[in-house]
Amino acid sequence: MRVFTASLAEMWFSARGRTRLSPDEATAELMLARRRLGQHAPESQRTLELVLAAAAGPATERELAGEAAAVTTFLAALPEPEPARRRGPRRIPALAVAFMFVALVTLCGTAEAGALPAPLQRLAHQAINAPAPPPAMRVPRPTADVTPGPGATGSHLASAGSGPSQEARTGKPSASPKPTHTSDSQGNGNGSGQPTASASAKPTSSTTDNGKGNGGTPGQGGSNSNGNGNGNGHGNGHGNGNGNGNGNG
Amino acid sequence: MLYGRFVLDGDFPDVLRLAARGDAAAFARLWRDTHPPLLRYLWVSVGDTAEDVAADVWLDVARRIGSFHGGEQEFRGWLFTMARRKMIDRHRYEARRPVSPTADGELFERPAPDDTVAAALEYISTETALALIATLPRDQAEIVVLRVVAGLDANAVAQIVGKSPGAVRVAAHRGLRTLREHVASATVTSPGRGGVTL
Repeated sequence: MRVFTASLAEMWFSARGRTRLSPDEATAELMLARRRLGQHAPESQRTLELVLAAAAGPATERELAGEAAAVTTFLAALPEPEPARRRGPRRIPALAVAFMFVALVTLCGTAEAGALPAPLQRLAHQAINAPAPPPAMRVPRPTADVTPGPGATGSHLASAGSGPSQEARTGKPSASPKPTHTSDSQGNGNGSGQPTASASAKPTSSTTDNGKGNGGTPGQGGSNSNGNGNGNGHGNGHGNGNGNGNGNG
Repeated sequence: MLYGRFVLDGDFPDVLRLAARGDAAAFARLWRDTHPPLLRYLWVSVGDTAEDVAADVWLDVARRIGSFHGGEQEFRGWLFTMARRKMIDRHRYEARRPVSPTADGELFERPAPDDTVAAALEYISTETALALIATLPRDQAEIVVLRVVAGLDANAVAQIVGKSPGAVRVAAHRGLRTLREHVASATVTSPGRGGVTL
């Protein structure tokens, strides 16, 4: 069966290959291919050949009259590369601004969450009032200026418990620890006399100071008064302080 | 011996490359080479609006010439394919807005009278030769012009008109046979004009 089918196909193709154009068709192909016929061609064919030759003749002035307009249209219709170049610089700033905006928002959010590194968090604290960095992140200063104050052991610049002070004399017990520095200090003060006694601890150093003071100056006036003041101050970095004061008048 | 000719021939690749870069002189050369056959093809197909359609075709060429790749034969095929699409659009437009035919249109739609054929043969010119071809049925006239005027082979014409090469050959042969009959009748019926003494 396969042999029969193959032979049919071969017969079909071989038949097509042997097919020849008729004389008229061959002449027509010559004329369509714009080839001149011989001198022995029939006159009707030669006439038709001349008609076709005239149809494919040289360009006339009328046909070429629109050359200048065509060139002008061509130059106007050319795709210009400049707009594509302009788009680049316009897109880059837009993307940069968008990126910077997102980065700024992220940075502010991180600063508000207190998740920045300590130096950056400190800057953010100063700039946009973000939370201060946690104490664990603070680095104590090694250069501590230790100057013992009067009436206080190992206290410097700290008036915590510093002996008979003006405040102690007033007999108004007050304790006002004001940690202002990266120091740890403690202060105790006792006062008597005027019912004002104050003990203040102002840790200003990185060292641990303890100060004790007595403001037990007898009060002047017709009354007796005793004042006791205790002050504790802890300063570390920005400092923490506690103070207690008691006064009796 | 070829009586039709391609103007550019071996220079075509360089001319095309320069034209694609926006060189006006190269485009002008390309235009001078291909505009006359394009205009004749459109004139046979759409008549008086041929120049408008040709302008639209060249506008598309100017926009898309940078993306074209091929030789001169392919370029002509590309050009006439665009022209045929424009021509079809024009026919659809005219079908939606019918107009009364002018005297020239009547000339193209009816068989050419013997006097016209005789005049065409006596004062053989491009216009009259195209007028004779335009008397053929539209598909035959189109194929004859694409083969003879545009210089395309049967395969290229088949791609343009969407037919098989065999169908293109048959239509072309029929068109030439009809045209030869018109010419023969002119030589017989118009002996007073001297017949065909070309």
